[in-house]
Amino acid sequence: MNSNNTKKIAFKTLGCRLNQYETDALVTDFDKAGYQLVGVDESPDVVVVNTCTVTNQSDQKSRTTISQAARANNNAVVVVTGCMANNFKEKLESQDNITFVVENNRKSSILSLVDAHFSGEILHPEQLPQDVFRYEPVRKSLHTRSAVKIQDGCDNFCTFCIIPMVRGRAVSRPVAEVLESVRKTIENGFKEIVITGVNIGRYEDREARFEDLLAQVLEVPGDFRVRISSLEPDGFGDRFVQLFSHPKLMPHLHLCLQSGSEKTLLRMRRMYDVEQFRKTINQFRSVYPEFNFTTDIIVGFPGETDEEFQQTLDAVSEFNFSHVHTFKYSVRKGTRAERMENHIPEKIKTARSAQIRELSEENKLRYYQSLIGKTQKVLVEKATRTKASGYGDLFVPVEFQAKDIQKNTIHTVKLTGLSGEGEKLVLVGELVPN
Amino acid sequence: MHLIKHEIKIDESFYKIEEIRQLTNETFSLKLPRARFAFKAGQHISLGIHGDYQSREYSIYSGENDENLEVLVKEVDNGYFTPKLRKLKTGDLVEIHGPFGKFGMEPKDAETGKFVFIASGTGIAPFRSMVRTYPEIDYTLIHGVRYSTEAYDRHEYASDRYILCSSRDQKGTYTGRLTGYLKDCTFSPETHFYLCGNSDMIFDALEILKDKGFERDQIHCEVYF
Repeated sequence: MNSNNTKKIAFKTLGCRLNQYETDALVTDFDKAGYQLVGVDESPDVVVVNTCTVTNQSDQKSRTTISQAARANNNAVVVVTGCMANNFKEKLESQDNITFVVENNRKSSILSLVDAHFSGEILHPEQLPQDVFRYEPVRKSLHTRSAVKIQDGCDNFCTFCIIPMVRGRAVSRPVAEVLESVRKTIENGFKEIVITGVNIGRYEDREARFEDLLAQVLEVPGDFRVRISSLEPDGFGDRFVQLFSHPKLMPHLHLCLQSGSEKTLLRMRRMYDVEQFRKTINQFRSVYPEFNFTTDIIVGFPGETDEEFQQTLDAVSEFNFSHVHTFKYSVRKGTRAERMENHIPEKIKTARSAQIRELSEENKLRYYQSLIGKTQKVLVEKATRTKASGYGDLFVPVEFQAKDIQKNTIHTVKLTGLSGEGEKLVLVGELVPN
Repeated sequence: MHLIKHEIKIDESFYKIEEIRQLTNETFSLKLPRARFAFKAGQHISLGIHGDYQSREYSIYSGENDENLEVLVKEVDNGYFTPKLRKLKTGDLVEIHGPFGKFGMEPKDAETGKFVFIASGTGIAPFRSMVRTYPEIDYTLIHGVRYSTEAYDRHEYASDRYILCSSRDQKGTYTGRLTGYLKDCTFSPETHFYLCGNSDMIFDALEILKDKGFERDQIHCEVYF
């Protein structure tokens, strides 16, 4: 235990952007309360592991992270939260190396739990209030850009997905609260916010839908830009496309296709078909030709034939995603797909995954090459005395030579070439003087 | 004197089965008290058995204004869940969560639109809910089954609106798969189609309707497993 009164806290986060936001909000909470933020290898008094359970691999990573964090910090308070805490609650509670298991809907009150522990109170996580929107606007953060949570949970019940079971039913944060959170986040110095949730396209607060909320966020005064985290490709119209003409809204969407096969999409119980997806992509690109689309693809879904997989390859080629986040299908207990026939052998899934990754890298190279000679406004995330890097408007990584550039500042950069390859491919450029 | 009022939270997710209607040897409906449960015709619920960790989704079979909340269940051979549902008796508890889903229409559209409902097997459930909720709705219901005995509650539909396609007997309006019937049909261009059933039927029906020139936005799907 730390010798002086200041307690040290470390965080480990796995999984989605929503989890990252929730960790950032907890960091802000603990920072305000006087805790010192340290790494897990710096003898923290508290370690919070914010877990993920979306695939078998996420479970494995979460388990390993918990074990390593606990083993390295024998006397620390170990708090496990996140989706794995919901999915494997009883199992985790029975582990001696974990002090508290806190479900997602009580995650925002972890500070109260830890404070109570250090002041000798006996407080069980079940006594914490349940509120998925109780998070403070991010001030102290582990990231350059801050997310703003607008929604939680999902009612879509896609047949592969465990999220409705671990994040609960879809709920939306009231418009006024979202706008207040955006204002405060901007006041806290962030130049870029990311609109985040589990299924944000289904945002619904009385009469307000996602587009209505987004339009109001864009009108919040201040010098900042807005991104949208991953989105389900259903139910968007012309108005959504038009909103991207607003200078604050960045021209990139992570639109989750999951499969290019109509039959597979139906078995996945997705809410769209390939034709609707195509229509959305074409609609955007007819207005904004450089618009950047990235996506998620699941390979080896039960019953996926060679022909169906080929349709996915064709779709990835046609839609020219600059990045494909590829998941090998993994069984999630309690989902409908668990009970489907014709599960695909791991070897085939691995081969299909490699094919998608290869295609994705070709797409990325082609897309990045098409941007050479153009300019991007880059939000600097890393800076040394001579070099800076960050992400451009299109959510493409850019590096450039520059002296004494500060982090969290935006600079115009002319793109001149490429560096690295595969996953590490980046655009390089020259600073355009103001 | 002040009385301290403790908040009493009643768990509203458990419902007592009021009636079990046997519709065929394999298919039955569970009638539950609707109480304050509000839903829109076409939506589904998650149904669990008291004491069991698993649950399944079922479209609501009753209308929005009916006295009971009703679901339609077909027992699956060697299944885990439906044989357990089959063993339930009047008075047993089931756990309900929901309602969920966007499969349905706005009341004003139900009054003015033209609809074709396409169902395989127990996929008829959301359409019975719609027809009971909007008695004046202009619809045609095309129901695909193996045997005509699976024409659940067919007497509730006007005979000129209900097309039974039976693939293994000759007692339906049409003998064969519903997709065979659909291929020869003509529909007015403003028709909205609602499809509910297994994914293979929906895939085939979608292709047929798209070939007939209908826009995807006119076709609404709910996949059953």
